[in-house]
Amino acid sequence: MIITKEIKMADVIHVNYYALSVLNRFGIELGFGDKSVEEVCKQNDVDLDFFLDIVNTFVDKDYFPKKHLQTFPVKLITDYLQKTHNDYHNSNVPEIEELIEKMVDSCQTQKDNIVLLKKFFNEYKEELQNHTNREEEAVFPYAHAIENAFNSDKIDTSVIELMQNYSIEVFQNEHDNIEEKLFDLKNIIIKYLPQPKDVKLCKKLLHELFSLEQDLNDHARIEEKVLVPKIREMEEIINKRFSEESKNA
Amino acid sequence: MPKSTFIVIEQSYIIRKGLISLIEKIPNTQIILQIDNMNDIDNILNHDPDFIIINSNLLDKNVTDCLSKNIENVQMILLSENHKNSFNEINWVENILINETQNSILKKINKLIGNRISNQPQRYTPDEISEREADILRNIALGYSNKEIADKLFISTHTVVTHRKNITRKLGIKTVPGLTIYAILNKLIDLDDTN
Repeated sequence: MIITKEIKMADVIHVNYYALSVLNRFGIELGFGDKSVEEVCKQNDVDLDFFLDIVNTFVDKDYFPKKHLQTFPVKLITDYLQKTHNDYHNSNVPEIEELIEKMVDSCQTQKDNIVLLKKFFNEYKEELQNHTNREEEAVFPYAHAIENAFNSDKIDTSVIELMQNYSIEVFQNEHDNIEEKLFDLKNIIIKYLPQPKDVKLCKKLLHELFSLEQDLNDHARIEEKVLVPKIREMEEIINKRFSEESKNA
Repeated sequence: MPKSTFIVIEQSYIIRKGLISLIEKIPNTQIILQIDNMNDIDNILNHDPDFIIINSNLLDKNVTDCLSKNIENVQMILLSENHKNSFNEINWVENILINETQNSILKKINKLIGNRISNQPQRYTPDEISEREADILRNIALGYSNKEIADKLFISTHTVVTHRKNITRKLGIKTVPGLTIYAILNKLIDLDDTN
């Protein structure tokens, strides 16, 4: 189902409660009564079109944002992605670590196995950190530079040089599959780990892993379907304008 | 055949030593701990045995509660003076009597070892993959490259790649660290081998 501006915000949560984390990142708090998505966005000073694109990408993995809706500035997108990064490092990852730590403490007979899981997750954590760092240090600044050039009257040669050294295409190609290890970890717990005595902890851990995975997938979709197409289009237009400008000059 | 490991907990020196000498007559057995009290349960659990034989006189509610919570893969054998149905918190796999004959005791233990091994084949050749794939997986987990594995096993790199694809498809595990954990959990390699 596609979420539209007329739908009640409460129903958005009913459709997929994981969307709570999306609302959280927009600074929208619960208690919105029967207000529609449009009303709640207005009240919270949130760009409606942007919110709809983000929340629909989140609840429906096959959702494709409509081109004409991509009018919002790149800064909105990167700010949102930045917030998802912060959530991973400040909330999801520490919670998973805490659960694994508890499992290590409570388990007597297969401590070695759980310690192994812990090691595996630590490696994953590092990978995730590298991944988000690269986006923050290379990709986001590049996207901002492209947007600035796009909005300026005259195309500067420095931007063309920048684009020759790096393009959003490169990012898309080097975009490694950060979800793979998480997928493995889930499967190891579901299929192969001898069940520890404390099944509750194990279930909680799985829940957290699924939730992180869902969020990472969503994060990747926003990059693929919103950020990358938008930047690619700007790159093309900048190139075109530049060649026209140099012809006229 | 894999070794079966035992912990014997019995307060009487004579009975303890007698029972141990009996168990040691069975091939592929190993006594990893022998003690005369239950004062240090953590120590017992840390030994991760296949079997624990314990005298019923050493049991009380606290001990059985603690044991039943922490033994998942251990088979518990009750040593007592007569048949009694006590300490039901623990799932006893066998009851050995103090005055039982040598033959009868040997028979019981042999049967338990046989059951254990036939019930847990996946510990040594996992059900999910073939023996050849297990060979490949072992080498992947040990950190060898496709080329090195090919040379070691006298097959082409292409064959190694095909095996890898099949392993990943069968197990649902894609990354090398993930495969390594699988290999350790299934005792294809030892944790120490990876360091």
